[in-house]
Amino acid sequence: MKIAFTAQGPSWNDPIDPRFGRAQYLLIYDEEKDKLTVIDNTAINQVAHGAGPETARKLFQVNPNILITGNGPGGNAARVLENAQISVFIGAGSLTVEQAYQKYKNNELEKL
Amino acid sequence: MKEIVIISGKGGTGKTSITASLAKVAHEEVVAADCDVDAADMHLLLQPDFANSEDFYSGVIAQINQAKCIKCGKCKDVCRFDAISIVDKQYVVSQLDCEGCGYCAQICPRDAITTPQQNVGNFYISSTRLNMPLVHARLGIGAENSGKLVAKVKNEAKALAEKRKIPYLLVDGPPGIGCPVISSLSGADFVVFVTEPTISGLHDLERVYELTAQFKLLAGCIINKADLNKEKTAQIKKFIRKHNIYELDQINYDEKFSEAVTNGYTAAEINKEYERNFKHLWEKIKEIVLEDK
Repeated sequence: MKIAFTAQGPSWNDPIDPRFGRAQYLLIYDEEKDKLTVIDNTAINQVAHGAGPETARKLFQVNPNILITGNGPGGNAARVLENAQISVFIGAGSLTVEQAYQKYKNNELEKL
Repeated sequence: MKEIVIISGKGGTGKTSITASLAKVAHEEVVAADCDVDAADMHLLLQPDFANSEDFYSGVIAQINQAKCIKCGKCKDVCRFDAISIVDKQYVVSQLDCEGCGYCAQICPRDAITTPQQNVGNFYISSTRLNMPLVHARLGIGAENSGKLVAKVKNEAKALAEKRKIPYLLVDGPPGIGCPVISSLSGADFVVFVTEPTISGLHDLERVYELTAQFKLLAGCIINKADLNKEKTAQIKKFIRKHNIYELDQINYDEKFSEAVTNGYTAAEINKEYERNFKHLWEKIKEIVLEDK
């Protein structure tokens, strides 16, 4: 399973970024390889409009099975993720990436 | 730090007046952020000192390097906004018509067209007459609010709240349901709708509710000018109950309200009774926000 997180920083200990479109980092954890990949998304701060679809496009390129985030994506981004068959889990806004992963493992996150 | 965002969908419902009044009674507990940047007017009530100012860049406009231009006219052909015209035998971009899509720059055979970021206005961190900091922005003529600018105002306000250990961020959100509104809602802990008993008040409430429901955000509603149309107020209440939105308050129409705004003070400063009511409202909001896990 490849699991993506929206995060405020590049490591397991960083807090989840509750925002989807304007998330500062995308962290991808590959469970089989036990490897964490970091995508720097801070360039999104320079995008005036359409941050959601833009971040969704980036995520689409790495094609994870699962996305864990805070509030969840807006309408346009949600459509991209749905077509990419990425399942979205929300409500991790106040956790660290590691805590969010544990909660997901314990089936404690809400599926969108 | 908890983030409370106040939106209305429809304009003119009293959103900013109510936000400023809440800021007044909450004073030391909040950082206020004016994300309604298209028509920023919280500063009229809070009188900030514009102490820290920064240029703000957002959006792009095409620029043609005349030295490189071979006058093939391809840019003019593809521009769907008719923003490129020939003036004195030179191809020029109209600053007002260009939407910054970048098609012309893409198609130019000589790479003569660039799309630089535009300085669209200023962004400020201020102290106010009411003892709370205000983060706000002012746009130049013809410039538009964007998700980017809203995110910038909110992030600066959050950083300030964290630095000074202020527990709440009170955000005056933009109208509508577009990109700036989505940006203002993203990351919120609680959303307050300010509506009025009119057909468009209810219609726009339904639209903003759809948006917050999509983000699974906890929401409450204030019906302003509630006594002006009792039938519509009843309809709004029905809608609120159906969707488990908190009924926060109902404010009756009062000329003193607009009088206060005209004279540059908040509704919470009209008299003791108003102050008490807004304090009560603020306590109620805090209770809901703190209860939510």
